[in-house]
Amino acid sequence: MASPLFYALSAIAILCALGVVIARNPMQSVLNLLGSFVALAAIYLLSGFQFLAAAQILVYAGAIMVLFIFVVMLLNLTDREEGQPILMGLFNGRVIGSLAVFAGLAVSGLISTTGNFAAVDASAHGGDLDNMESLAGVLFSKYMLPFEAASLLLLATLVGVMLLAKRERSGSQGGGQA
Amino acid sequence: MNVPTEHLLILAAVLFSLGALGFLLRRNLIVILASVELMLNAANLTFLAGARAHSSVGPLNLDGPIFALFVILVAACEAALGLALVIAFYRQKQSVDIEAAAELRG
Repeated sequence: MASPLFYALSAIAILCALGVVIARNPMQSVLNLLGSFVALAAIYLLSGFQFLAAAQILVYAGAIMVLFIFVVMLLNLTDREEGQPILMGLFNGRVIGSLAVFAGLAVSGLISTTGNFAAVDASAHGGDLDNMESLAGVLFSKYMLPFEAASLLLLATLVGVMLLAKRERSGSQGGGQA
Repeated sequence: MNVPTEHLLILAAVLFSLGALGFLLRRNLIVILASVELMLNAANLTFLAGARAHSSVGPLNLDGPIFALFVILVAACEAALGLALVIAFYRQKQSVDIEAAAELRG
């Protein structure tokens, strides 16, 4: 019943992902990425992952996208990028390597379709596959150590980003004096 | 939603491939970071497809959603740190083209 919606959303996600790769302007690229994130969030919602869909919208479409758009606008790349060829030479090793990656994954995807096509019943557990209560129960018992490590990672990132910004400022001052 | 798990996996594979393609082909550092985000999203979709397949029979399987949550967290850290590096790089080179970073090329 909801399958046509899923395939429509998949098409949007794939087209937006294609837009990320081929868009000339970095801003268009980033906005295409936003479309892909939102389509994926809708797919999560359809699949029964309501909390993950909310997290996807809040963290990806909210925080990360704002960061990307902020940097693109801060650096004002739109006019610098024009005139330069987007893709590198057509037949160098990079293109061939990436085509090999693409072909390999496409083939593995096609092979996986030769398995059974059993439709998964999403109505199990009332259609709520990431119930927040049980999710919190698992997160704060079985995954307590990874959770603490994640908080440490966030702290390290915070310090790292501040250090990068600070060091850059003192470095440019030194460069100006010399 | 009556969609086979394979279709979710195929969608994830295609998205990952497009991300890998962008990562390998593009020269703009910001677009490269965006491609990495795309690949992390594809990984997330794979985790959730697995969790969905395992939850449809038997008890609720929460390992997939938990790992997807951790992937989102790592993606946020990576984006913040990567974009800070992009800004630092831009201040030094006045460009975000990876061709400008060729000092270590042998």
